[in-house]
Amino acid sequence: MIILYDFELSAECYAVRLLLGFTGLAHEIRPVDMFPGREQDEAWFRALSPDGTLPVLDDDGLVLTALPAILAHIAARSGGLGRWWPAAARDEIARWFAHAESLADSALRARWIITTGDGHSLPVLQARAHALLRTLDRHVWFAEKSGADWLAAGAHPSLADVAVFPAVALCEEGGISRQDYPAIRRWLDRVRRIPGFHVMSGVFPAGPARADVPFGSQ
Amino acid sequence: MVAETAPRAGHNAAWYPIATSDDLPFRHVYHGQLLGQEMAVWRADDGHVNAWENRCLHRGVRLSIGINEGAELKCQYHGWRYANRTAGCTYIPAHPADAPARRISNRTYRVMEADGLVWSTLSPDTPFALPPVDGEKLALRPIPVNASPEMVLTALVHARRSGSDVEALPPLGAGLELADLPGHPARFFVQPVDAARAVIRGIVARPAGDPLPLLRQFDDVLEALREVIEADAARVELPEPIVPVYQPVSVELSSMPPITIGAQNTLRVVVRRKFPAGADIVGLELGALEGHLPTFQPGAHIDLHLPNGLVRQYSLTNGPGEQLSYVIGVKREPTPGSGSQAVHEVVREGDVVAISEPRNNFPLRRDARKTLFIAGGIGITPLLAMAKALEAQGLAYGFELFARSDAHIPFPDDVGRLGARVNRHLGLDPGATSAAIGRIVANPGFAEQIYVCGPGPFLELVREEAAAAGWPESAVHFEYFKNLKPRDSSKSFKVELARSALSLDVPAGKSILAVLRDNGVNGPASCEQGACGTCLTRVLDGEIDHQDVYLNEAEKREGKVMMTCVSRARSTRLVLDI
Repeated sequence: MIILYDFELSAECYAVRLLLGFTGLAHEIRPVDMFPGREQDEAWFRALSPDGTLPVLDDDGLVLTALPAILAHIAARSGGLGRWWPAAARDEIARWFAHAESLADSALRARWIITTGDGHSLPVLQARAHALLRTLDRHVWFAEKSGADWLAAGAHPSLADVAVFPAVALCEEGGISRQDYPAIRRWLDRVRRIPGFHVMSGVFPAGPARADVPFGSQ
Repeated sequence: MVAETAPRAGHNAAWYPIATSDDLPFRHVYHGQLLGQEMAVWRADDGHVNAWENRCLHRGVRLSIGINEGAELKCQYHGWRYANRTAGCTYIPAHPADAPARRISNRTYRVMEADGLVWSTLSPDTPFALPPVDGEKLALRPIPVNASPEMVLTALVHARRSGSDVEALPPLGAGLELADLPGHPARFFVQPVDAARAVIRGIVARPAGDPLPLLRQFDDVLEALREVIEADAARVELPEPIVPVYQPVSVELSSMPPITIGAQNTLRVVVRRKFPAGADIVGLELGALEGHLPTFQPGAHIDLHLPNGLVRQYSLTNGPGEQLSYVIGVKREPTPGSGSQAVHEVVREGDVVAISEPRNNFPLRRDARKTLFIAGGIGITPLLAMAKALEAQGLAYGFELFARSDAHIPFPDDVGRLGARVNRHLGLDPGATSAAIGRIVANPGFAEQIYVCGPGPFLELVREEAAAAGWPESAVHFEYFKNLKPRDSSKSFKVELARSALSLDVPAGKSILAVLRDNGVNGPASCEQGACGTCLTRVLDGEIDHQDVYLNEAEKREGKVMMTCVSRARSTRLVLDI
């Protein structure tokens, strides 16, 4: 059974509801009171979605929290993958996903501020970043304990590391110290040891990798 | 119980965990903090854990963004290098030809590793006394909390299983069973990061089998506890951050060194090992009686005070960051009563001997495109230390070694580790040696440097061949331990001491240094034969008769400095900047 954890006023949740409607896939909706209830911060929800983000899709225990993955999954489950996510247009679609994220960061954030009165001052943004870094640090720490070096499963770094690295590596320029995230600091070292790594202003090289271990990992 | 474990004034003296052992993997620099003092914490390749004040002595940049090179930590900003254990500066890239003053040393904190945690203290002398824990321990994921350490400890104690005991541990610690995790007694320590920041660190008995489920259970409980503590902390006024106390510049560093005669600052070391290091050569490993030895740089030497009263200079062969003992090599000279005979025959393992702090008159540039080492026999010792440093940094070098035979190669193990870079030239007669050196130095390259060490005639040969091939004098570096040149002290002259307003006569047969001493003007001196450079003195006027082997030809021509122990005047008068 497909369950959508949903907040009626969320634009991202709306996108999922749209596709569920277009494809006619059977589902059940479980409302989560993001505002004003902040139900997404409760432990039961954090167990599903560590960062407390919505929407969340639960398909018989397969829990998806990222909008692109949820949409792709619904398309596949409905048998419409080739129509809704054709291989020939994946680059184009990925660009529109990025475009949608940028709009979420601007238009939707403005909407949120005006409709909820939740002022996005610098301290609020920094606090939100710290909350995200806490989740990331915990994820990396337990990954290390299971012998994994990278954000996503697998022995090789993935696009996930590439996508997350820049914001984390530059966060101290936003007044967000990484001192409380030792596992993140070790992951940053590992990414910076991937052969072909390049620095940019504000991102420094790591020490040389151990010769006998790929990427000088643990 | 809580009251007893709550911190009080003076807890700066206590030990706290500052990291997990797993936080210090290969070549990583951990960003730590204790009671407002930031620390750069890193494990050297020899396993030693360093906890240093988190700022470079140069521009104050955090060393926690620096590079752990295994034996040295390099600042990210201008590349100052600091040695494992001592935190002494070993190289300043902006001054490639100079040895950093040995007093440039960062503040170090004491470190202990126990039960999977790394401990430190701001106290210089409180003994480390963690109550012993039985069995193998598992360190929990550390949980940083934005609340005062006192609040965190109180909340931990309140979260214990009702009616259960709390075991008071060293400041800000408690042994207890959490209500949400009965049956798993744990030891919790609250690291006081700052006045309103703390880290919960815990250790539990390692379960049989996969530890991950237990680690996750603790993590869930502690994360929930953190949420409660931080919500409470948001309702109270938190104390202001602690103002960090940076190590002030020491009186020693900010004042001129005291001027006294002879080798100062002798320290006692124990002969840990005396071992054959090639035909007629013994190696001595001189270990610190406790802790580590003073910082050295490649090319440095020490004075060794021998049982027969002689003081002799020997180069250190150590690689970077090897600060627990110095290794020197001594070749047996045939002269009875010589320093080398005393080392070979009298000095035994376990003896305690006096040495000077390392001095470096032979600093290694690390900005060369390529460095060429040319060693004659036992003269290899300083070049070994240099090659090890370049090897560690991955810089290009070549190594030409001259010896009488394979058996005469000094420190064959060290030479073997340098591998194929070493070209061996064995058993050559003077003519063949000269020809070989001619070939080696035949093609001077841009920004290349030669470092040569060996017997006097060998040095002269290399210097002549290099000059003939077109090497600039400034690119050929050498160090003499003996001045074998004939010296002439037959002339008498006058010296004027510009700063002391003194005019003195130097008679034939007596050195300037001796005349200065007779008149109560004491300056530093060591070898007193024009080899070590200790008595180097600025000359303001007059023509110098250089008789030393310390200065190179260009420096001698320039005529701005002299060695007062052997050099004299061509003019009737010299004006010295004393």
